[in-house]
Amino acid sequence: MDRVTDFLPVWIVAFPLVMTFVILAVQQYSEKLRNVLSVAAAAVSFLSVAALYPFIAGGEIIQLQLFSLLPNLSVSFRVDILSFSLALLASFVWLLVTVYSLEYMRHEHGCNRYYPVLIATLAGCIGIFLAGDFFTLFIFFELMSLISYVLVVHEETMEALRAGYKYLIMTIIGGLALFFGIVITFELGGSVSLNGPLLIREPSPLALLAFIAYLIGFGMKAGMFPLHVWLPDAHPVAPSPASALLSGVMLKTGAYGLLRVVFHVFGGKMLLEAGWTTLLAALAIITILLGSAVALTQEDLKRRLAYSSIGQMGYILLGMTVINEKALLGDVFHIFSHAFMKSTLFLAAGAIILKTGKRKIKALSGVGRQMPFTLFAFSLAAISMMGIPPLSGFLSKWALSLGALDAGKPYYVVVLLISSLLNGLYYLPIIISVFFGRAEEEGHGPARINEAPPKMLVPVALLALTTFLFGILPWNVPFDLSQMTAKFLIRGGF
Amino acid sequence: MIVKHAPALLVAIPLVAAYLLPLFARRLKHLVVPAALFALLLCSAGSLSLLFQVMHTGLIIYHFGNWPPPVGIEFVVDRLAVFTVLTLSLVGFVVLVYSIDDLRHELREDVRGWYYTLFLTLLASLYGMAMTNDIFNLFVFIEISAIASCGLISIKEDRACIEAAFKYLLLSALGSGCILLAIALLYMVTGHLNMTYLAQAMLQAAELYPYNLLASLALLVVGLGIKAALFPLHVWLPDAHAAAPSPSSAVLSGLVIKIYAVAMIRLLFQVYPAAFLARTPVAEIILWLSTLAILLGSIFAMVQEDLKRMLAYSSVAQIGYVFLGVALGSENALTGGILHIFNHAVMKALLFLAAGAFIYATGTRKIRDLSGIGQTMPAAGVAFAIGALSMVGIPLTNGFVSKWYLALGALDAGRPFFTAIVLVSSLLNGIYFLPILINAFFRKPSGNAAAPRALPTPMTAAIVVLAAAVIVFGFFPGRMAGIVVLAVHRLLGVWQ
Repeated sequence: MDRVTDFLPVWIVAFPLVMTFVILAVQQYSEKLRNVLSVAAAAVSFLSVAALYPFIAGGEIIQLQLFSLLPNLSVSFRVDILSFSLALLASFVWLLVTVYSLEYMRHEHGCNRYYPVLIATLAGCIGIFLAGDFFTLFIFFELMSLISYVLVVHEETMEALRAGYKYLIMTIIGGLALFFGIVITFELGGSVSLNGPLLIREPSPLALLAFIAYLIGFGMKAGMFPLHVWLPDAHPVAPSPASALLSGVMLKTGAYGLLRVVFHVFGGKMLLEAGWTTLLAALAIITILLGSAVALTQEDLKRRLAYSSIGQMGYILLGMTVINEKALLGDVFHIFSHAFMKSTLFLAAGAIILKTGKRKIKALSGVGRQMPFTLFAFSLAAISMMGIPPLSGFLSKWALSLGALDAGKPYYVVVLLISSLLNGLYYLPIIISVFFGRAEEEGHGPARINEAPPKMLVPVALLALTTFLFGILPWNVPFDLSQMTAKFLIRGGF
Repeated sequence: MIVKHAPALLVAIPLVAAYLLPLFARRLKHLVVPAALFALLLCSAGSLSLLFQVMHTGLIIYHFGNWPPPVGIEFVVDRLAVFTVLTLSLVGFVVLVYSIDDLRHELREDVRGWYYTLFLTLLASLYGMAMTNDIFNLFVFIEISAIASCGLISIKEDRACIEAAFKYLLLSALGSGCILLAIALLYMVTGHLNMTYLAQAMLQAAELYPYNLLASLALLVVGLGIKAALFPLHVWLPDAHAAAPSPSSAVLSGLVIKIYAVAMIRLLFQVYPAAFLARTPVAEIILWLSTLAILLGSIFAMVQEDLKRMLAYSSVAQIGYVFLGVALGSENALTGGILHIFNHAVMKALLFLAAGAFIYATGTRKIRDLSGIGQTMPAAGVAFAIGALSMVGIPLTNGFVSKWYLALGALDAGRPFFTAIVLVSSLLNGIYFLPILINAFFRKPSGNAAAPRALPTPMTAAIVVLAAAVIVFGFFPGRMAGIVVLAVHRLLGVWQ
């Protein structure tokens, strides 16, 4: 693997940070300029990440040490195929969500707080993916987590503040657990760099402690049982575009961190031999079943989506405990497809709430006739969630199942099937009722079409299209990236 | 030539200025503040010059009146002393700038001149404590500092202040008594007061008179423990630090209690023989007391309604970090503990000054009444937030750096349990600091917080400088940590 030094990663992380302050300064004069600059910031971020592609496609790893804090502890960046894939995903979804926000947030208060925070969170999120060592990752992890608090409490209602406080405390617990893991890694390995070699090679009580600390730190972010408690409160109370990002992208930072822990700190072989993956697998299975089962009982649309996210994150956590190439392919691809599906669902839900003011699932019957495009996108993503071919959700489950069978763990497949069934049970009734149900206040004649404005519809439609296209197209960028990532990680990841 | 006398001048300048200020206050009122500032500016210059000398030569030994020890008084400026002196100068100067305007509303006009006298006397004694190599001289400085602190608390002349000052005076006198007795015991068995000679003589004395040494050690730990507010000897601190005028609180919490910790570090590592200490459970006792301090200090802070009282309890917890590092004794832990002296001085001074600004602007000190203050006073609010985040140990603030070293040091010492303690305490800090921030930034301003008085520029400037220091030393802790690491090498070299 060639290693090159390039300043592009620094630019990618610094640019949105700088833009945050530019937007803060500009918004006092013009709201319009603020909106334009926010979209521009997200777009430039996406393009800059995409500009890394020539390096990555050439099989290179970009490394850069920015400055050193203390001996062996520095702020550094590193882009390999895994970082690239996730950064690309994050900036893509972010761009669409920012466009969507323009319309959605027009009727909301506090936009002068919303946009800068949105862009600052993007910086934190991409910083996590491009970090070259665990310390830098930790910095951006805290940055993203703390700043996104502002997104969670945006409504400033009692409910939002309570959910936000829970989120904040869990975030701090997670951050400190992560800190614990990093300190132990530093103590045992003498460094926390991702540039390899493996940081901890021998199983020891202290190493196990580090593993558990990482599980708590990243697992909290990824919504892993029993640390998921903040998620179903925090995701629904945020404005819908923010929920889409929280559920679609920011949860993935936890999964990303755990992938790095598995492949760069301990190494898959050592984890399997020591049997520590069992711990993660058990928690992942509980997460899957619990998330899906509890989603069934939710009556609030966004809350149901939030619980569904917990279940889906369980797939990703389970996938990384099966340490073989096929399962990893499914794992990384599910990060992509879940990001597309869940942001579609949340954005569509946002459009419904904005147009009809209804959040309860019962009240939504017949809405499909009023907003056919939005609900069609919603249904597409929901069906993909169930894992029905040829949609992208099927592809990830297929690869995950194959991987599990290869590793001789057929009961993982059973878990995936049960969860798909549960997904069907809580998504299908929504689809049926919105299209075929009778609307409450329906008068005579066909319902009037009252669609969401195009600025909202386009991002939703684009995202829904991805779940479809990346299921059947032969030219499947996320799938190829996932394949390369899986190969890269199994080979050692250095 | 004058540079050679820097150690002596560092004590002499503020002391002389302190005596001149009351004269100024009588005849040349407008010169009081500039004179005090000028004195501290000279001290800051002196500390910087000491820093350069020590970085160059490694050690400065200064004999008062050219009388060599064991007869004369000796100042030894090593890296630990330079580090302490720098901390004192930086924080002391900023607090003094802040106090000029703050005192206008906190103190009566006729006592304001006295305030500067007390402040400078206190700093002189702290400089002395940091540098002296003579154990009786140390005691003299401790006494000066105790009396000056007491004055700084009671100067407000309301009931709470007098009561707190009286409580402090009583406990402090008890501490001084313990220290004096310990010094007498040491002098009895060794015949020396100079620390270097004392250390040599003690090697023998430890075999001949182990009980005398043990008694003196116990007395010193208790005496300095009271002064440094080591749990459970902290009972005087919350009253005293909360009642005093805000700049006094900043200095008392940020600087004074730490200097006693420095004195304790010197005595434990440079005077008492390591072999003797290893036979006593002193490290283990301090370790568990500091653990209790860290946990209980934070828990007490959680239930406070008064902002300054909460900060005072938080100091009880934070001084625990310093002692935790000392007691763990590994290189990294000691580095973390000593570095926390500086880091906490900056953070806590920042928090107290920002709290003082809130009180100045709104007239209320209840946490509940400060809702929305971050929106109406953005500068002070953001500065307070930076200090609070540093307390929680968010990376790229200076609080993170000391936590990093402490956590690593606990692992080095083979005690991951105490790493967990450091982390749990960060969480506790989060639990009591974050609601204040949420309240300040995300709730509608109400009551006095909605229309605060404008803050004078010097006060804002002081707060901003400290907030910047928190960030700068969070991004670039290397220099400061480098000094401390070398200081620790010297401490541990003598220990072994």
